[in-house]
Amino acid sequence: MKAEYANIFVNSAYSVFRQEIGAKLSRQSLTRKNAPVPSLPVSIVLGITGAVRGQVVYSMDTAFATSVAKAMVPNKLPHELKSLVNSAVSEIANMITGQASISLAGENQLIHLTPPAVFSGRDMTVDFLAIPTICLGLICEFGRLEINIALTEDGA
Amino acid sequence: MQTGLIVDDAAVMRMRLRDILETRYKVVAEATNGQEALNMYEHYKPDFVTLDITMPQLNGLEVLSQIVSAHPEALVVIVSAVGQKKMVFEAINLGAKDFIIKPFESARVLKAIDRLFE
Repeated sequence: MKAEYANIFVNSAYSVFRQEIGAKLSRQSLTRKNAPVPSLPVSIVLGITGAVRGQVVYSMDTAFATSVAKAMVPNKLPHELKSLVNSAVSEIANMITGQASISLAGENQLIHLTPPAVFSGRDMTVDFLAIPTICLGLICEFGRLEINIALTEDGA
Repeated sequence: MQTGLIVDDAAVMRMRLRDILETRYKVVAEATNGQEALNMYEHYKPDFVTLDITMPQLNGLEVLSQIVSAHPEALVVIVSAVGQKKMVFEAINLGAKDFIIKPFESARVLKAIDRLFE
């Protein structure tokens, strides 16, 4: 997988967090692994097809996810907010991936995203693709956000 | 007052769009997927639609195509995170009046809808 994909996702994540949540992300780590298996309890999985294909898996802890929802829909009562947490983190993942897809697609290519799917807890069973993965660790005032990028170019 | 239909699978986005649009327009319904959007369009015949692209069942471009085929006068604005150039051209060719890329500012949304009725 191209190492430049990491910078595309870092820049997208910085931009979306600044615009949508008002939080400043910083880069913490970059590692490689064999599949986009997340290491934190709340995960959002997006599939990508088209000129580039694979999976992007976002991962965070529960407190981080709640903080994202609070920032996106302020002034909600706790019970209202609880029902919006999955929607909020799904949409943030969708926006980061969507913005990255603009750079990945370039002028003439098309990339489609599947709707985000959220999984919580350590008992989840998800089929992750066995694609070499870049694992980005980003950090902000809410805690750590992990982005697992497992992409391959069409025909590669 | 003109009426609108919000189509987005994300509850937070529907909530935010409703808050923005209801400062000037009446939101008559919200749809959470493509098929629901088609049903609600036929039921409410709204004056405009804000339409997401990445959704379950039917995606936004398929919904756009079906709405515009049946109602060539339909006023549809795409509101999507997937703002690739080719995707934007495809949406405009299918009949979308504007394409707003998420994340968006409130003023950008209102300006797009205001323009539909100028």
